[in-house]
Amino acid sequence: MNIFVLNCGSSSVKYKLYDMKNEKVLADGRVERIGQDNAVITHQPAGRDKVSKTMPILEHTTAIRESLNLLTHPEHGVLKSVEEIDAVGHRVVHGGESFSDSVLINERTKDILDSLASLAPLHNPANVTGIRAAEKIMPNVPQVAVFDTAFHSTIPPYAFLYAIPYSVYQRHKVRRYGFHGTSHKYVSQRAAELMGRDIADLKIISCHLGNGASIAAVHGGKSVDTSMGFTPLEGLMMGTRSGDIDPGAIFYIMKQEQLNLHEIDSMLNKHSGLYGIAGVSDMRDIERDIANDDKLAKLAYEMYEYRIRKYVGAYVAAMNGVDAIVFTAGIGENTPSLRTALCANLSYLGIEIDEEKNKIRGEDVEISTPDSKVKVFVIPTDEELVIARDTMKIV
Amino acid sequence: MDIRRVAVLGAGRLGRGIAECAASKGYDVVLFSQGAGGQDALRRIEKSLDRKLAKWAITESEKRLILGRISYTLDLKELSKADLLVEATIDHFYTKQELLRTADHLCRPEVVFLSTTSTLRVSELARGINRTDLLVGLHFIPPVPNVPVAELVRGSQTDERAVEIAKQFATRLGKQVVEIHESPGLVNPRTLLALVNEAAYLIDEGVCNAQQADRIIRESWGMSQGPLEMADRLGLDLVLNWMEQMQDAFGQRYAPCPLIRRYVRERRLGVKTRLGFLAYTDDDALKTDSESEQEGKRED
Repeated sequence: MNIFVLNCGSSSVKYKLYDMKNEKVLADGRVERIGQDNAVITHQPAGRDKVSKTMPILEHTTAIRESLNLLTHPEHGVLKSVEEIDAVGHRVVHGGESFSDSVLINERTKDILDSLASLAPLHNPANVTGIRAAEKIMPNVPQVAVFDTAFHSTIPPYAFLYAIPYSVYQRHKVRRYGFHGTSHKYVSQRAAELMGRDIADLKIISCHLGNGASIAAVHGGKSVDTSMGFTPLEGLMMGTRSGDIDPGAIFYIMKQEQLNLHEIDSMLNKHSGLYGIAGVSDMRDIERDIANDDKLAKLAYEMYEYRIRKYVGAYVAAMNGVDAIVFTAGIGENTPSLRTALCANLSYLGIEIDEEKNKIRGEDVEISTPDSKVKVFVIPTDEELVIARDTMKIV
Repeated sequence: MDIRRVAVLGAGRLGRGIAECAASKGYDVVLFSQGAGGQDALRRIEKSLDRKLAKWAITESEKRLILGRISYTLDLKELSKADLLVEATIDHFYTKQELLRTADHLCRPEVVFLSTTSTLRVSELARGINRTDLLVGLHFIPPVPNVPVAELVRGSQTDERAVEIAKQFATRLGKQVVEIHESPGLVNPRTLLALVNEAAYLIDEGVCNAQQADRIIRESWGMSQGPLEMADRLGLDLVLNWMEQMQDAFGQRYAPCPLIRRYVRERRLGVKTRLGFLAYTDDDALKTDSESEQEGKRED
């Protein structure tokens, strides 16, 4: 079974084609700058040279059609025709309270997705545009929506509610939803596999540390809490997002700096986090600047690690213990020093790190010592594979 | 038709605001100006973006992206590449009509024209061009990037399709579009002029000073700027010109307060001369009440 996985943003489309017999990636690629004359399409057939071309691509239907042209191209393609695609899996950021699992897309699903646009105005409309475009090109191929929020639908009300008037939740569905669900699901399942144990018996803390970052407490394979909330702004310090901040401070800043809603929103989402403290948002730049004795870079790094440590501690308490901690995504996978610093500060849990294993990159690896009371893993995330698996399960 | 390239005629405050706003929403913008103001317009747009940056509203890379989408030219032949034309020049009937006529020859026939006029009638402006059905009145209110509403009027021959395009454009720029009937001054300038004129009389009669009048009006009605500051930012010469046009249309109730005439005669024109009803810094910021009062007294 061939499954085409699509992740549509407002001006980009990322795709991956899987042969689900062996979960092998046949090809992947991306279209960027959709809407412009100089859109760039990059296509990588497995084991062959990458192809890249620049052309006018004004909307998502053309972007998807061009991707499919490359997948069926006589020279660069991996399929004879589009008919060989058995199903399409779409990443959809927000499923609200309506979707607690992946679903087959039909008219009703699309109507509900349209109604959820206000919860994720930057992402959901683009996801739905991608769904409609794919349907137009492949009208007879089943399409499945896989939600970033769905994995967290098992979080109990006492953890997902904010302590504000209940009527606000009833009227506007303001609550913790959590994000990066497909990633937390994948790495927690993979950790259980690597431990050779049933995930139903495990307490796992999954740390997805990318430019956006979140932590999830996964008890018995189910998310019971996560650091991102109603929006992806809550929780950890991130590349450019503040993470947790006293709401009272926001009102005060708005008053003192005479900021409107857009300005404060932009400040907290785009000018804060590592960037806000150190002037750079990339952890590699932070490490470089620390090496050059930059005090603010060092402070940003310490803040970043401390915030993760607090959440890990909180989730150990939330689950009354922890069997494994998993690191994934850009920073989680590629910053050994952060893992070392963090785990050293979690020694009360009996964590011990094997520094040699901690240096390994690009593969699933257990970085804790055999004696460590809590297993620690680095597992490169594979959200597309989760989407492909869910899609196969549903169709 | 897919609209990507927008031509903006006029590099004044309104034209610059529309250019900045359109570029912020992903349009490629070509700014046309007959005078030497174009280069200055780009500099002023950059300054406006710098102010947004200082308030964290945009990032450095967003600023570069927005500026990269705006170009300036004196060459009207470039109009042939536009998908939409926005005319934002001073409300002078013959100047506007002449410019629209030139654009009418140069733009592709299907291109919709939007005029930002507030005191002239779209139906009359349309008489001078071939595309009478494709001219729509769309009055953006300065400061364009910050004001979330625009007034739309159709002329007697305006086609529904053109109105739709105008609405889509304004909506993408983040404006609520309110369609009203054609009438000089529309809603915003007409009511603002009445307010400015009355406030000017209050000052002239010695009831209060400009700071006091603006503060009471601004704070009591929850406005971000008082009417006198708004008038200063528009330019008191423009305000006077509008009032005279309104006087022609509606009679004595729009007769400009003598104080406004005096200020214009003295080249006390508002932000552009750093002094109008109120005083301004070199960065176009309002000076504090005491500074403003001192400066006003000195000039008086």
